[in-house]
Amino acid sequence: MSAASTEVRPAYDLQFARWVYRNIQGGDRLPLCMQCGACSGSCPIGVQMDYGPRKLFMMIRAGMKDEVLRSNTLWNCTSCYRCMVRCPRGIAVTDILQDLAAKSAQLGFAPKGTENVRFARAFWWSAQLYGRTDERLVTARYYFSFGLKEGFRRAIANLTIAAGMVRTGRMHMGLPRRIKDRRGLHAILAKARELESLE
Amino acid sequence: MTEVKKFTYYPGCSSQGSARHLEESLLAVLPRVGVELDEIDDWNCCGASVGHIGGCQTPNLALTGRTLAKAQQKGARDVVTGCAACYLNTHGGAEQIKADVKTRTQLNVALREAKLSYDGDLRVRHVCEVLVNDVGVDRIAAQVTNPLRGLKVAGYVGCQTVRPFAGTAGGGNFDATDEPTFLDDFSRACGAEPLPFSNKTSCCGASIAVMSPDRTLALIKTILEEARDARADLISTPCPLCQTNVEMYQAAINRQYGTDFHIPVVFYSQLMAVAFGMSAKQQAALHRNTIPPVKLAAMASSGAGDAR
Repeated sequence: MSAASTEVRPAYDLQFARWVYRNIQGGDRLPLCMQCGACSGSCPIGVQMDYGPRKLFMMIRAGMKDEVLRSNTLWNCTSCYRCMVRCPRGIAVTDILQDLAAKSAQLGFAPKGTENVRFARAFWWSAQLYGRTDERLVTARYYFSFGLKEGFRRAIANLTIAAGMVRTGRMHMGLPRRIKDRRGLHAILAKARELESLE
Repeated sequence: MTEVKKFTYYPGCSSQGSARHLEESLLAVLPRVGVELDEIDDWNCCGASVGHIGGCQTPNLALTGRTLAKAQQKGARDVVTGCAACYLNTHGGAEQIKADVKTRTQLNVALREAKLSYDGDLRVRHVCEVLVNDVGVDRIAAQVTNPLRGLKVAGYVGCQTVRPFAGTAGGGNFDATDEPTFLDDFSRACGAEPLPFSNKTSCCGASIAVMSPDRTLALIKTILEEARDARADLISTPCPLCQTNVEMYQAAINRQYGTDFHIPVVFYSQLMAVAFGMSAKQQAALHRNTIPPVKLAAMASSGAGDAR
C-alpha cells in the first residue's frame, strides 16, 4: 500500500522558477521574497484573484508553471503599484505580474477569450498602426472582438457614457489622429519585434 | 519670482480625447507660474498599461524610445507630461534605457530604421512634480485672484502619478506614495478647503474599469462614498483615467447599488484656472466635465469666489 506514489500529481516544472528569475522583468529579485504578504494585503482587487501575489510567488518557486501562467491573478492586476512600493524586499511585484501576463499571452497560456488580452490587442492595433491611441476605435474594436451580438450589447450598455463624451467634445470624431512618420514607426516596431524574437 | 523655465512637452493621446480638459487647463495655467512648454514633434503613444501584452516588451519600449528620440531633438531640457500613464511608461522607460547598456543598444538598433537615435540622458517628469519642486506652491498661491472660498475638495491622487516613482530620486522625491499631500496643497493654494480623504491613493480600476466595469465598480464606489460622506463639492484629480472612470461610471454604480451619486470630478488644473481668474470655458474647460461642477462654475463666471 503505497498510495502516495500512485496519486496523480500536478506537473512540477523544476526549471520554472529559474526561468522566471532570468526572463521576467524584475524577476532577478524574486528569490528575496520572504512571503510576508504585504503585497497581497495591499492589493485593491486581490479578492478577485485566484491567488494573491504572495501565493503566486510561492507557486513559482514550487514550479507550478501551468497554474501560475493560467491564473487570473495576472489579469486582475490594475497596475496600482501599491504592492511594489510596500515590498520590504524591494521586489518589483507589479512589474513581475505585468510581464508574466505578457508572457502568458505570448506563450498561449492565457485562457481563451480573456478580456485583458482582447483589450490589449485592440489597444496595440491603434498604437502601432496610427502611433496614437484612438479611444473610440480601441473601445469599438474591443467590444466587437467578442462577436457582433456581444459587441452591440456592450456598445448599447455604454451608449449614455459615449453620448456624454460626444456632448463634451471628449470623443474624437472624424478620421483617427495619426503621427506623420507612420512608415518610420512601423519600421522601428518591426525591428523591435525581430529583436524580441532573438531573445 | 518671475523666472521662466522651459520644458519639452509630451501631451499623450488622452489630451486629444477623453482628457482634453486637462491639457486645455494646463496650457492656460502653466505660463502663469513660469512654465513654458515646447511640444515634441510627432510624438507617439506611450503603450499605457497594456502595450506590453498587445505588442510584447521590446516593441512596447520602442514606443517610448521613439518619443524620447524625438524629444532629444528638442535639446537636453527635461521632458514633462501631465498624464499618469505617460509618466509611468516614459519615466520608467527612460530610467531603464539610461541604466542598461544592452537595452539602450538594442533600442537604437530599432530606432535606426527610422534614422533616429536616443542617447539615454533625458529626464522625464510629471507636471505635478515640476509644480512642487520647480515652481513651488507659494508661486501658485501668488497667482490666485479668485480664491475658491468654501469649496470643499476631495483630493483624489490615484496611483501612477505617485507610484512607484514619487519617492525616488529620479522621481524628484516630490511626495509620499501612500499619503501624498501635493494635491491638497494645490487646493489650499487655490483658496479651497481640502478635506481629509483616506481613499486619496486608492485605485479606480484603471484600464480594467474600461474593459470590464463589473470587476471594478466596487472600487470606484468606495471612493465616491467617502467623498459623499465628507460632503465634498467635487473630487479633484491629476490623472486622466481616474477623472474619466470616477465620473463616467457613477450612473452604472447608481443602477447597480441603488445609490444617487452625482459628484463632479475635475482636474486640479481646472481648479487653478478658475482660481487664477480665468474663464470657465476657454481656459478652465469646465464644459468638458460630463457631471457639471456647478459650484466651481458659479465661482468662475460670477467671480463671486471672493464674496463668499
